[in-house]
Amino acid sequence: MADAAPVVAILDPVTASSDPAIDKLGFDEALAELQRTVAELEAGGQPLERALALHERGAALLEHCNRLLTDADLRVRQLVAVAGKGLQAVDVKPDEAQETPESGAS
Amino acid sequence: MTRARPPEWALPAWDALPEDRGAAGKPLVAPGAFGLRILAVSDVSRAIREAVRGDERLRDLWVEGEVSRVTISSAGHAYFALKDERSQLQCVWFRDERLRSAFEPQAGLRIVVHGRIDLFEPQGALQLYVESIQPAGFGDLALRFEALKARLAAEGLFDAARKRPLPSRPATIGVVTSPTGVVWRDISHVLARRWPLARVVLVACRVQGDGAPASIVTALRRLERYIEECRAAGRPEDAPAVTILARGGGSLEDLWAFNDEAVVRAVVAHSVPLVCGVGHEVDVTLADFAADVRAPTPSAAAEIVVPDRMEFAASLRRANDRLRNAMQGRLAAAARDLAVERRALDRVSPVARLAAGREQVGLLFDRATRAILARLARDAVRVDRATDTLSRLAVGRVAGAHSALAGAAAALAVLGPQATLDRGYAIVRRTADGAIVRDPADAPGGTGLRLRVARGELPATVDPDSHG
Repeated sequence: MADAAPVVAILDPVTASSDPAIDKLGFDEALAELQRTVAELEAGGQPLERALALHERGAALLEHCNRLLTDADLRVRQLVAVAGKGLQAVDVKPDEAQETPESGAS
Repeated sequence: MTRARPPEWALPAWDALPEDRGAAGKPLVAPGAFGLRILAVSDVSRAIREAVRGDERLRDLWVEGEVSRVTISSAGHAYFALKDERSQLQCVWFRDERLRSAFEPQAGLRIVVHGRIDLFEPQGALQLYVESIQPAGFGDLALRFEALKARLAAEGLFDAARKRPLPSRPATIGVVTSPTGVVWRDISHVLARRWPLARVVLVACRVQGDGAPASIVTALRRLERYIEECRAAGRPEDAPAVTILARGGGSLEDLWAFNDEAVVRAVVAHSVPLVCGVGHEVDVTLADFAADVRAPTPSAAAEIVVPDRMEFAASLRRANDRLRNAMQGRLAAAARDLAVERRALDRVSPVARLAAGREQVGLLFDRATRAILARLARDAVRVDRATDTLSRLAVGRVAGAHSALAGAAAALAVLGPQATLDRGYAIVRRTADGAIVRDPADAPGGTGLRLRVARGELPATVDPDSHG
């Protein structure tokens, strides 16, 4: 299928589409890259392969942002003054925060 | 100290009867004493002083009256008279007490004075020694509030110019409050609902009672130290970018810690923007004035510091629209380019190759657009699914989650292979998986096919003998 070769190249911008690193991105990073991607795609002028890769990347970033927004759980730490160690940030469940004794006030 | 004894010739004192007693209930001289008693002035003063000091009613009293004749000495003591319709009472307010007070006596003002009566012996004057003053009809707290507010405002602590803007999406949020009350629960729930991506650093403090101001100040300082430590350790994202200072509703007395000068100054000096949410909508404390943003309630403070992920999902959908629009624009441009190529081919090709060339270009284009659109539609569905999940979390929000898909369908109509089909071509797909058949080997005998032609689809089956 020699005639299909160039088309296949256009249709499978694999290198950009399935970048596993997206999963590692924080929300702000993903959002910033999404905004850059949209802007670049809107500016136009790139070859079709590049445009498809950008679109693919953008869609993946969008999905990642949405998933982060949907799945995130609020993480709470409580600052506790520990004798001899100064301040410690201790992970707590929101409902299990403790009244801590104050060292400074009577 | 020795009482001057009257001379022997003196007549019995006119007041020296046992039943005749001094104003404060003590006899000035022993009953039955004889003779004219001539007292030293200081003896009389002392007697008066003892009488006054011995009277409980005068030792600790509250007096209401109108202020007149106010003078303030160079040493800073205030002297004024308190009067009503019939009497006047001279009052002295010493510098130390006066400077602690939020209030200055002014002529004509009705006030309530707390203090004691004593004799000023050098002048033989009975005076009210003032401990505190408040205007008649007002609580002392309201007065101190107004006076401290005026003083701190004059210092510029409440100036709009020194209010800092809040970060739009803080990665970490500091919360200073009592962790045992409903306030903390409200705040954590609001944050979890609106922006669960946030991390929270809670610092417990007392929000009521004598120790509360110091506890609040300590908590704010601890938070500042933690922020510094995080930044120094290269973890700036762990450092709260905004702080919520909160307390539930209560009386003016309950909220008083938030009118404490030390607390106000700690709020002003806090190293990151601070949102104050104390009490209910109607409660306003000096900490509110000092904060970068005043929230009407603790929950409102939590809402102010983070965006709403539902609204954010809407902006993500807009980003999706832009992605898709840009891509469709790009595809349309590609289609135009292709048409140009095709016309060029028409011009240069020998007649014998023309049909073959057209067919090839048409097929290539159809396959390209089909694959691209399939990808667009898949992406749209994927994004929609994600936004759908989020939308379900929001009661009553039926956002246009399917608009992206509808847009993709429209694009399919515009960019689809219809034009090619209209020219008499057909698209052959395997029924089983929808794959386009390009090679007879892809469709062995008996394979179910769907033939898409200009006006519809035809089911077909490959002749079992076809590959004989």
